[in-house]
Amino acid sequence: MRIAAQLRKVSSQWRALLGAGLLVLAAAGAAAQNPPLYTKWVNYTQANGFPAGEVFCVTVDGSRVWAGTEHGLVLLEDGRVKKIFTTADGMVSNAVMSVAVDKQTGDVWIATFGGASVYSAGQFRNYTSLSSGLANDLVYGVAVQGKYVWLATTAGASRLNTYNGSWSIFNETNAPFQEPWAYSIAVSAKKVYIAAWGGGVVVYDIAGQYWRPYTDPDGEMEIVLYRNQGLIHNIVSSVSYNPDTKMFWASTYFGLSGYDGRNWHNYLTKDSGLISNFINGVQSRGNEVWACTQGGLSELDYKTNTWVTYRPDRKTGRGEVLITYPDGKKSRMETPTSLAHNYILNMDFQGKDIWVATAQGLSHGIRQP
Amino acid sequence: MVAGWRRLLTGVAGFALMLLLVSSWRRTPVVASSSGSERAAGNSVPQYLSPVALQLSSDGRWLYVVCEDGDRVLAVDTRTRRVARQVRVGHTPRGIAISPDGKKLYVSNEWDGTVTEIDAESLRTLRTLQTGAGPVEITTDRAGKVLYVANTLGDDVSLIDLATGSEIKRLDAGHFPEYLALSRDGRRIYVANLLVRGPYNQPPTSELTVIDPDKQRVTARIAIPGVIQLRHIAELPASAGGALLVPFMRPKNLNPLVQVRQGWYLTHGIAVIRPTSQSAEGVQKFQVAEVLLDDIDHYYADGFGSAATPDGRWALVTASGANIVSIVDTAKLSRALRAAPPSQPEALANRLDLARQFVVQRLRTGRNPTAVVVSPDSRFAYIANRMDDTLSVIDLGTMQMAATIDLGGPKAITHLRHGQRLFYSASRSEQGQMACATCHPHGGLSDGLAWSLETPQLGRDVVENKTLLGIDGTSPFKWNGKNPDLETQDGPRSASYIFRSQGFSHAEVKDLAGFILSLRLPPSPNLARNGQLTEAQARGQEIFFRGRTNAGVLIPPQDRCYYCHAPVSHYTSRVLMNVGTATRYDTIYAFDVPQLEGVAMKPPYLHNGEAQDLEEIWTKFNPDDKHGITSDMDKVQLNDLIEFLKTL
Repeated sequence: MRIAAQLRKVSSQWRALLGAGLLVLAAAGAAAQNPPLYTKWVNYTQANGFPAGEVFCVTVDGSRVWAGTEHGLVLLEDGRVKKIFTTADGMVSNAVMSVAVDKQTGDVWIATFGGASVYSAGQFRNYTSLSSGLANDLVYGVAVQGKYVWLATTAGASRLNTYNGSWSIFNETNAPFQEPWAYSIAVSAKKVYIAAWGGGVVVYDIAGQYWRPYTDPDGEMEIVLYRNQGLIHNIVSSVSYNPDTKMFWASTYFGLSGYDGRNWHNYLTKDSGLISNFINGVQSRGNEVWACTQGGLSELDYKTNTWVTYRPDRKTGRGEVLITYPDGKKSRMETPTSLAHNYILNMDFQGKDIWVATAQGLSHGIRQP
Repeated sequence: MVAGWRRLLTGVAGFALMLLLVSSWRRTPVVASSSGSERAAGNSVPQYLSPVALQLSSDGRWLYVVCEDGDRVLAVDTRTRRVARQVRVGHTPRGIAISPDGKKLYVSNEWDGTVTEIDAESLRTLRTLQTGAGPVEITTDRAGKVLYVANTLGDDVSLIDLATGSEIKRLDAGHFPEYLALSRDGRRIYVANLLVRGPYNQPPTSELTVIDPDKQRVTARIAIPGVIQLRHIAELPASAGGALLVPFMRPKNLNPLVQVRQGWYLTHGIAVIRPTSQSAEGVQKFQVAEVLLDDIDHYYADGFGSAATPDGRWALVTASGANIVSIVDTAKLSRALRAAPPSQPEALANRLDLARQFVVQRLRTGRNPTAVVVSPDSRFAYIANRMDDTLSVIDLGTMQMAATIDLGGPKAITHLRHGQRLFYSASRSEQGQMACATCHPHGGLSDGLAWSLETPQLGRDVVENKTLLGIDGTSPFKWNGKNPDLETQDGPRSASYIFRSQGFSHAEVKDLAGFILSLRLPPSPNLARNGQLTEAQARGQEIFFRGRTNAGVLIPPQDRCYYCHAPVSHYTSRVLMNVGTATRYDTIYAFDVPQLEGVAMKPPYLHNGEAQDLEEIWTKFNPDDKHGITSDMDKVQLNDLIEFLKTL
């Protein structure tokens, strides 16, 4: 009866959400425009045959989804696990940290803790620091930009020219890396963005063949002197380029930063709906910015400054949806299903759906109409 | 009864053929005076044609012939069987394709890294398209919109948009992709790789790469175990089973040279490949079988061209070292394959008694038959004879040679040409098992394998095969440096241990050595045409010539790169050096210093081929700095050094 009474008060959109299984427990900001929400989660965990432990990365390639785990590379197609690739199949290592698909060739490049592999038409070809020009075998990130494959390693960024097999290494000796430990790589048509642990974001201009560093103006201090002063911290865990807004976003362990080419846009838990300042990864498209944090998955609608965070409720096991509206008001809802874990490492888009890598499994978020 | 007569006739023909081979072996060729010094002095020397690729017009009226030494394409009128027109193209043309509407020809120029587009009717050059490194075979897609080019030195396939003439992308192939073919239904492009990658102490596995021209992606990499040197691809029509037939060489390089049973140390045959199912991850699977075309008492060396009649009943495979084309009854081939257990696709791969079941005719061609094509009406097959500038015409109705078409090359045979003929001929080896070109394919390359050649040690002293390109001025030869010149290298010892025959006469050895020394390396694709080094290459050059370590410590002269790899003599000091690479299987510790020119195109490395990439020379096999002082170098420096070496 109580639910039915509430229903009469909410908009038609909320009725639709309820029909999808969303329970509205508090809706202080119900009068504001709500963003589209993910109310259904399908999880792939050890319980249903997925490799145990952390899922480090997830990459969508059309109907295919590649998930990197400690125990191999998982290929899902149309929601089903098709294959778990390991060293037994020829892959260089089982600990898969990042995956990038070459849109031109269809080849799948794999960053692992034992080197890099490329999976092409059923076969792996491996690259290690002993057998190739790869800087180091601890490879955290990979991205494909035209004929070049970029790899983020603990000893700098490596670049392979797939046309002639030439390797280049960029580190503190030949590029403005304060630290050579590269964590993640993103590419645009004109630039390559490298997240450097302790070194901020280092950007390579492809046409000009020069580097430009973006670092925290207050150095190593874990404080922000004033809002939007620059990159929020030098320990950058991930970087993402948004082709729609032409912005790049950097996740740090101390907050989220975005740069539009002129101004910085920084977000902390204390002044936004970001659920945690400890952010493992970031993705962005359109007006969406997704922060993969230790406390859940936070989404920023950059245009409306509305935040939505998804996380499991540890007590009930249901999903929690926390909305922070532009005026600072908040609402909380529950969904019958939830993310596999609140510790989020990575995510990617598949049409309207999202795939999320968590510390205990892979989650498929389905947006309800 | 008919089959019995055919077997008898085949046997008689084989015997007659053997007599012919022996007689031609002993026949002294006509040799005109022309030496390397004359060539160097700029005197006029005959310009041989050396036809290597063929393309018929869709109506079969015109046969286009690519001549690699003549740098030209000839148009032969198949009615008159005469050369009607010709056009000069780029340097070392190797492959040809025709547009689906028949109006344009595309010819790859291997040494230029280009494709020449030609008007098929007038033979007028229309434009030149840039490709990857070392283009050989080419084909268009079904619509004629995209040109696919096999880049041998790039290990990839270029896709060129024929509307704009620009390269769309490159797809990674296997190692040294040489030939490719569009499937009959236009849904696949198959790429045959000449060489293999893999551990030096394991049998080789070749790759046939499959491209989906609609997706423009590689969709399968077919592993063909135990063989190398995949060449022309023939596809049978679906009505005849739809299999691919691809010639190969099957080496037993890890067996000691004294191995005699089951084909000595190498055999020749064809891979028979059929599409089957898809794997769980959506990759097309293929069934691979291997059969030999050799007989128990005679070999048909260096399978090269292959073609099938439109109805798929007959397949023709040229043996370029034997001057033979074998005609295969594909129905009998299928029956022979069905006899093999499905679980053991390699069960037939060493059977020397099998070819008689499906090879119904062996016809003698001109010298060094390469490509073969079949006319659309199935009446004739045409074969390009590289070493005598002719075409052989086979009447497929009578299964006999119908005619020889003279392409107009010089009639006088120089010493160099004579040496070239010897290089490609298996007639000097016992039972015609192999030619020089068998282990030095593509005009003198290394086959990339480690061979157990030293008979006294029975399996010890396994050594990587060396290239023959650009070796003039690099003597001594062999990894142990025992041969002071090529005349020794190719003399009685080679005849005894490798060819197992009387070998070459003194005059023949001289011509053969002259030809081998005339072989040049193609231009390095890693060096700008103006010779300007990139920044990384220039840094690598400094490292190559450095005299101090990163810490400023003086490097003893003998531990510097250029000490052993002296630039003044092709980057080799031409002496034996112990660089700490000998293993417990070696009986010597010092090896001939290899020249570095062309080093990028001849993996694997070190005397036994255990370094698969240049990096491994230093990252794995130089732990004590005996192979130069390199342990102080970081990866950036090592990468730079390799970038420099790749320019040589």
